[in-house]
Amino acid sequence: MSEYLEFQGISKAYPGVQALSDISFRAEAGRVLALLGENGAGKSTLLKILSGDIRPDAGGIVISGEEMSFPTPRDAILAGVSVIYQERQLVPLLSVMENIFPGALPKTALGIDKNRLRAEAKAVIGKFGLPIDPDEPVGRLSVAYQQMVEIMKAYTRNSRIIAFDEPTAPLTDTETDILFRLIGDLKAEGKIIIYVSHRMAEIFKITDDVVVLKDGKFVKAMRTQDTDERALIQAMVGRDIGDTYSNLSRNEEYGDVLLEVRGLCTDALDDVSFSLRRGEVLGLAGLVGAGRTEVVRAIFGADAIEAGEIIFEGKQVRFTEPRDAIRAGIALCPEDRKEQGLILSRSVRENVTMPVLSKLKKGLFNMFLDRDAENRLTQEVIDQFTIRTPSINKIARELSGGNQQKVILGRWTNEKVSTKLLILDEPTKGIDVATKAEIYQMVCDFAKAGFAVIFISSELTEVINVSDRIIVMHNGHITGEVMRQEATEENVLALAMLD
Amino acid sequence: MSGTTQKRTLTALKRFIVSKTAAMILLFILLSAAFAIISKGIFIKPKNLVNILSSMAISAFLTEGVALLMISGKLDLSTGASGTLCGMFLAYILRAGFPLIPALVVTIVLGAVIGFINALVVNSMDIAPFIATLATSSVMTGFIYLIANKKTIDVSNPVLKYYGKGMLFDYVPVSALVAFAAMVVIGIILHKTEFGRNIYLVGGNPTAAMLAGVNPKKMSYILFSTCGFFSALAGITLVSRLQSASITGISAQRFQGITAAVLGGISFGGGSGGMAGAFVGLLILSTFSNGLTVIGVSPHWQNVASGLLLLFALTLDVLNEKRITNTVA
Ligand SMILES: Nc1ncnc2c1ncn2[C@@H]1O[C@H](COP(=O)(O)OP(=O)(O)OP(=O)(O)O)[C@@H](O)[C@H]1O
Ligand SMILES: [Mg+2]
Repeated sequence: MSEYLEFQGISKAYPGVQALSDISFRAEAGRVLALLGENGAGKSTLLKILSGDIRPDAGGIVISGEEMSFPTPRDAILAGVSVIYQERQLVPLLSVMENIFPGALPKTALGIDKNRLRAEAKAVIGKFGLPIDPDEPVGRLSVAYQQMVEIMKAYTRNSRIIAFDEPTAPLTDTETDILFRLIGDLKAEGKIIIYVSHRMAEIFKITDDVVVLKDGKFVKAMRTQDTDERALIQAMVGRDIGDTYSNLSRNEEYGDVLLEVRGLCTDALDDVSFSLRRGEVLGLAGLVGAGRTEVVRAIFGADAIEAGEIIFEGKQVRFTEPRDAIRAGIALCPEDRKEQGLILSRSVRENVTMPVLSKLKKGLFNMFLDRDAENRLTQEVIDQFTIRTPSINKIARELSGGNQQKVILGRWTNEKVSTKLLILDEPTKGIDVATKAEIYQMVCDFAKAGFAVIFISSELTEVINVSDRIIVMHNGHITGEVMRQEATEENVLALAMLD
Repeated sequence: MSGTTQKRTLTALKRFIVSKTAAMILLFILLSAAFAIISKGIFIKPKNLVNILSSMAISAFLTEGVALLMISGKLDLSTGASGTLCGMFLAYILRAGFPLIPALVVTIVLGAVIGFINALVVNSMDIAPFIATLATSSVMTGFIYLIANKKTIDVSNPVLKYYGKGMLFDYVPVSALVAFAAMVVIGIILHKTEFGRNIYLVGGNPTAAMLAGVNPKKMSYILFSTCGFFSALAGITLVSRLQSASITGISAQRFQGITAAVLGGISFGGGSGGMAGAFVGLLILSTFSNGLTVIGVSPHWQNVASGLLLLFALTLDVLNEKRITNTVA
């Protein structure tokens, strides 16, 4: 009989939420099983139970007939289980090779055998076909490559069960292709694979079975070939949301020029020029490292500018810190929610209200924070984005990945931030399908209200379909510009690879 | 509506019970009981309790400055030296004939300027605060020896004497009252004002705070200066109490601010803790050193014991950080 992994009646509660209740299903060897559900449905929690990171309140795990219990992550690893987390678990100061082989470092009499380690790491990196230096500290790699190192780490353990929690969220298409090829190999070797993603196209590309969770409950299990996107979304969301892009109600009228960038140079950018009208949604496309994030950071006053001009609302500006940009009406929703977006140790409320505290005051000389106003604003944001949290005072660290992302979006799009230019850097990373559609509509509504949006995304379909105009970058400079009507994945990608 | 309020107080209560503050209050009660028993009641005599209160004034000022810095993710090890230097400076200018009020103002400004210089060193050279302030601390200690020439300088000023030794209603030391009042004000600033909130945000994640419009550098200048300000107050308090300034000054108390803060749940990682906790930490610390004296432990062993207490506080902090990072979502 071939191998399998079975969850039997798994339940897990956190204060205020039943993250999982009575989940049972089976994953077969040599097949890829997609685990689907909205943000906060309990997918990551289930995988953390599988990896021995947390313990279920009830239920058990069976591998090929054998009852397993994983009191610690080490037990799970020894039993042949590898889970690649949504949040990276690497040690930034250690080199790539030391991160790939933690705890299994080859030794000589004098300590670690660096040469052998390097050779082994090179072999793995070669198999992945990536230009990564084994001696480079992981903290210096791009987020995409860090993710690939994480995957290599699991790969080298030679586990029989491998689970991926939203592995493609930080990847661009090139790395995604490499990953899919690899998952194909693993599948052919007869591994049991679990795959979590909010990108529906991927589900149909690489998975064989689907399990849908909703609010911590099992909804259904089926073969991928027997279903379609619409039915899956309906199972996840509980209603039909229709076609995301064609249902968008877009802005048709543009106003005058709101932002103009001329000859912008920083240490990562070379002579970047473009302009943006009120009412327009401008997409920035490109591969990882193309300089999209650097452009918006420079505009926002977060990076030093070496040369060039920025004209905002007809006036030449050069913000020396984000505070000035925010005051002028620019909002930047940053790409890395853990490093740049959230204050993980503080509450949802504090995370939402942080840029608008000066507008939430009361009392003598307006000295004191108005807690009621803060609560109201946070509650509005929670309602608008359907953020799953038992209370506005929950610590941000304890929200699910997608819900954390929604907190950051809410911070920058609520009524108190009087934003004229909204910059979204990878806003839908880790966001479920239904909410994605809402975010796209929000972007369009924002444009309709006469404001402008800069939209950065590594998901080509998304940039092409949401933006009115797409600027493509490569290596710190602009390689071309396409209107939505003419944009296809092929011509945008071709520009993204152009030198 | 009242249902939600009730629920809120309930969860707040629950949180409190499992919180570190509660554990520390328990520790405080146990310590006091132990000292009371060992000292055969001397420890809880009103006279001794008043002693404890007055001994708290100086460490309270030190705690206030350092706690604010620590919440913002920074640290200052130079408070002992800068407080001593400020005390010495005050004694000198009073002897030189400065009237009291201007002398106090200048001394406090000196403290703030020292703090500002600390911030300058930390920011402009991007040095870890604990190394930077260790360096400035030894520079200041050098200066103290240079000016003081191993002499003690007497200060006789009735107002300072009242502040340092006076009692309100016979039982409340004036200086402690001032220090506690400052603590309440800081608590309000931390929890009710934008500035206070920003201290937590910067301490929790400086990059995210910066991208949301808070300037972590500016905050660090303000908070280091504030810390210097409070060190000056601590120095002034000692001079007022002893009516003289000496080269040792408050240097014996240099780690008390940090110990109290850490015992009170303010972690080195920044972004958490508050004045209520710091006050409890302060209570434990003061009870501890007073209790040791009362039961007749020699000063050298007292030093060893305070070191161990700091170590204990640090262990708690490290364990707590570990627990948090282990549960990353
Ligand atoms: N450490 C924690 N403490 C408290 N609650 C938690 C913790 N971790 C997860 N939760 C809660 O459990 C629920 C399920 O979270 P989980 O991370 O499993 O969702 P998910 O399906 O992975 O969502 P996403 O698609 O957003 O990643 C959420 O409501 C979340 O707030
Ligand atoms: Mg998740």
